[in-house]
Amino acid sequence: MNKKVLLKIEKIKKSYQNKTVLDIDSLSFESNKIYAIVGPNGSGKTTLINILNLLDKPDEGIIIFRGKDIRQYSKQDILKIRRRMTLVHQKPFLFQTSVFNNVAYGLKLRGIATESNRTKIMNSLAIVGLTDFDKRNAHQLSGGEAQRVVIARALALEPEILFLDEPTSNIDMRHIDVIERIIKEINQKMKTTVVFTTHDLSQAYRLADEIISLLDGKIVPHVPENIFKGRIVDKEGNQYFEIADNLRFSIVTKKNGLSYIYIDPRDIIISREQFYSSARNSFKGKIVKISEQNRLIRLIVDIGVQLACVITKESFREMNLNIESMVCLTFKASAVKCY
Amino acid sequence: MSFIIEGLQKAFALILSLDKEVFQIVLFSLRVSSIAILFSSLIGVPLGFVIGSKNFWGKKFIVVLLNNALAIPTVVIGLLVYSLISRVGPLGYFGLLYTPTAVIIGQFLLSLPIIIALTHSAIQGIDIKVRHTALTLGATEMQAAWAIIKEARFAVMSAVIAGFGRNIAEVGAAMMLGGNIKGSTRTMTTAITLETSKGEFGFGIALGILLLLISLIINIILSYFQSKKI
Repeated sequence: MNKKVLLKIEKIKKSYQNKTVLDIDSLSFESNKIYAIVGPNGSGKTTLINILNLLDKPDEGIIIFRGKDIRQYSKQDILKIRRRMTLVHQKPFLFQTSVFNNVAYGLKLRGIATESNRTKIMNSLAIVGLTDFDKRNAHQLSGGEAQRVVIARALALEPEILFLDEPTSNIDMRHIDVIERIIKEINQKMKTTVVFTTHDLSQAYRLADEIISLLDGKIVPHVPENIFKGRIVDKEGNQYFEIADNLRFSIVTKKNGLSYIYIDPRDIIISREQFYSSARNSFKGKIVKISEQNRLIRLIVDIGVQLACVITKESFREMNLNIESMVCLTFKASAVKCY
Repeated sequence: MSFIIEGLQKAFALILSLDKEVFQIVLFSLRVSSIAILFSSLIGVPLGFVIGSKNFWGKKFIVVLLNNALAIPTVVIGLLVYSLISRVGPLGYFGLLYTPTAVIIGQFLLSLPIIIALTHSAIQGIDIKVRHTALTLGATEMQAAWAIIKEARFAVMSAVIAGFGRNIAEVGAAMMLGGNIKGSTRTMTTAITLETSKGEFGFGIALGILLLLISLIINIILSYFQSKKI
């Protein structure tokens, strides 16, 4: 096994009330990397992160920590492994005491001496930029500050893996930048492996070395972009995927009824005018968002639903595109992948 | 009317002169009620925690019984314990009737349901995130349980104070089980009953004022804790 692999899961299954919420064949995390777990609501992100952090048990499958199946460990040893990682929940919870005591909590559980505690606590508060906050009452902090304190509380434990469940979903824009900078710093300076879940794909691109995409509890080989839920219908011998009353895509599939589709942003051709081709899908829409992504330009075009597509910088310049520009999106029926 | 004024004058004289008998009764009451609340807290807080934090078969029924037990008349508790510890009762061998221990047992049973029920609702009101947060930071199940009790500390304290309030103010159990023996089992409430029936209004009013004062202090402490609740 690769020595850099810190944590690995194999053939993991988890169900709630007879519904499979997680079904993962294999997934591994290497040291010193940042991983983003992305996926829509209910895709199993939180269940996965709880299993990885050993807070929840899978119904089936194995968890391997540093090359050893954790089932071989005693309860006491599993607690020790659990203490080498930590999870920061989506909504920060702080105990009714000072910021200092909150950050000290995990260290106290481990029986770490008070003097070395103090240095660790103050260093962690410094990393999240809250050095002078140690004496403050935790319940008087803003949402963003509270989020930073819970991260400091996790950092004080110097975990080998830090899990963050939707770290920026409940805070304002100003604090999102701060949290993102902190995540980068933790990884670079403390050499901590960071695994975070997010709804925001651009955040995943900005921060992560690797992106893990979840859909209905399964890992999918692409980012969960251009994923839509709808119904497959047959009309005059042709198959369509209906997303809304007046919006449907031509598709080729053996499936029927309710389904998910995915369109790879790279499979969509962008043009100023509609053109004649063999592609079955062609829609007019308005550009609503433009961002840069790994030497490409990522556009979000509203055609009734928002579709993401990518073009090169050269094409973007030549076509003279702007926000509000009207464009035409064309893609083949076979580009619409059905789940 | 004059007997009330005379009673009040005598009461203040007794209090201000720190009358030995009056303060002996007050101290006895405080001692008995404190010991009773200590034991009912030691048993009631963990029980309330278990009922509040765990799901088990029959839980709803237990909660209904507990809430019902909050309103049990003190004389019923007195009757129950009396039947157990009187000479002919199953525990008669120990000779507990008309001793301070008997009063403590009665008050223990009176305050136990209060402490269990209020701890139960305090724990239930605590965010489940306390447990989750503690576990993510490496707590064992026991450490997580302690974190929840610590978070609910103000509500648990008010449960204990409320239980103490019931103990110090009750008369039925203390009268039936202690027998109101002078210098031995006479509490503030049993003394007030007796002295008033004897026409010793001054003595009764003095104890009444002190009892009110203690209740007032208890309520001030109680509202302080309640105001600090999460």
